[in-house]
Amino acid sequence: VRSRVRVLGRRVVVVTVVLLQLGLVARGYWSDHKEFAFQMFPESSTWRADVVRVTGDGRRVPIERPWSGYRWDELVRSRGLRYPSIRHHADAGLDNQLAFLDAALDWVADNTPRDTETRYLEARVTSWHNADPPRVGVLRSRVREGAG
Amino acid sequence: MSATAVGAPPPVRGVTARFDDLLGRAVSMRALALLRVLAGPVVLLHLRPFLTDAWDGRIYRDAFYDPYVAWYPEVGGGLYIGLLWLAAAAAVAMSLGFLTRLATATTLAIVAYNLFLSTTHFHNNRAYLLIVLGVLAVAPCGRELSLDAWVRRRRGRPPLDPSAPAWPLWLLRFECAAIYAASGLSKLVDPDWFGGTVTWQRVVRARDELGALPDWAVSVLTDRGFHTGAAKFIVLTELFIAVGLWWRGTRYAAVWVAVAFHVAIEFSASVQVFSYLAVAVLVVWAVPSTRDRVLRLDPTTARQRRLGAVVRGLDWLARFRVEPAPAGSRPEVVDRDGTTIGGAPAVAFALSRLAPTAWFALPALLLPAVRRARRGGSDRSE
Repeated sequence: VRSRVRVLGRRVVVVTVVLLQLGLVARGYWSDHKEFAFQMFPESSTWRADVVRVTGDGRRVPIERPWSGYRWDELVRSRGLRYPSIRHHADAGLDNQLAFLDAALDWVADNTPRDTETRYLEARVTSWHNADPPRVGVLRSRVREGAG
Repeated sequence: MSATAVGAPPPVRGVTARFDDLLGRAVSMRALALLRVLAGPVVLLHLRPFLTDAWDGRIYRDAFYDPYVAWYPEVGGGLYIGLLWLAAAAAVAMSLGFLTRLATATTLAIVAYNLFLSTTHFHNNRAYLLIVLGVLAVAPCGRELSLDAWVRRRRGRPPLDPSAPAWPLWLLRFECAAIYAASGLSKLVDPDWFGGTVTWQRVVRARDELGALPDWAVSVLTDRGFHTGAAKFIVLTELFIAVGLWWRGTRYAAVWVAVAFHVAIEFSASVQVFSYLAVAVLVVWAVPSTRDRVLRLDPTTARQRRLGAVVRGLDWLARFRVEPAPAGSRPEVVDRDGTTIGGAPAVAFALSRLAPTAWFALPALLLPAVRRARRGGSDRSE
């Protein structure tokens, strides 16, 4: 049985999926996470970061030191962020990697309730885009209200 | 003419009618049934790290994760772990073809839910898996190679029609080609990639991992000039696969190159389930018709009986009807177009059309003796 609805439905589904896929491939050229854009092994870029906790009294404490019962390498285990001070390959590209690092700073700031002294986390990032000279940038988490 | 084309201007009507016919044409779902069987273990491999963490008492939200949207529903830890195990069970059922539609839809739903929980869960291989599961969920691919079909036979009920409208198959073909094209294109337009900088730097930085190779190989692989050519070869390989799959004249070559490409990637990079999935999906490029070639074998010869057993066992895409030939005959294949090939070339041809042996047997079709036999068989069939 080849009803009009069925024929139309097929056409709509196929055309929608094809256009959506093409749109997502195009979006991959400007988005950080490039979902469904299928850009494989996009860069040889590398990065490292000195991540510190900035406390209410202005101290800058490296996150390699455990604090208030927390450890960075237990809080942030995925996407190559576990040991940020070691130079790593940005396996899905620098934009993707730094977006994850930025989100990780926010997540740690929001999910460490026993920590009453940290105002915000800060990452001083050195990145090497492919063979380009290194660039240095700073990422900061949200400011933790009431801390310090 | 399809019902929907009525009312459109004539040229548009012709195009839309042909498009509708293409999508609605009944074709064999055998390739998708086979892919369904192969996709189950791939889903289990995909779930393994999540299940391992859950086994150790950890789930995604015990550490950094990054939701796509704040309103995305997050279930309790116990239920989440239960869903992961349910997905694993559903993947096994999907592979076996037990309550196939329900099992495939369940697998798709949970894999999709888990993927979209966090941006950190996203990887290209998981996106591809989701696409494959989506196609399998909408295609009636449980009517063969399934427990459902076996149970139906046992109950004496007639088998369901194993053919169905072609659109899910075409859609998966599009996605498969789009993935190679997107990957190749992104490298083609990036001067660092196409010029060799990216691959050269990756290899140089991984020099310590090349220790098992002889010095000359390490020297070649770390040479900047080598990568100027190698990068172009990689990009053009991806683009060749993307384009070559669409034409019959280049399809076998594209499939062969794709398998070699994925084996090389599997040994040189960490890509989770991508290689297994991508190789499995290549079965959708088989012509969607079954038992339309004939293999004639002499049942009185032990060697030909063994060949018959091999073909019956490995003919996962149901390419051949195996028929008895008169005593003393050589093996003979009759292709779709009526071309008849005999002897060793027939054996090579048959093995080149079986999914598990195709990659090894396809180069044999380039041998002059096999080419001559195929040409001769074609002449005789005219």
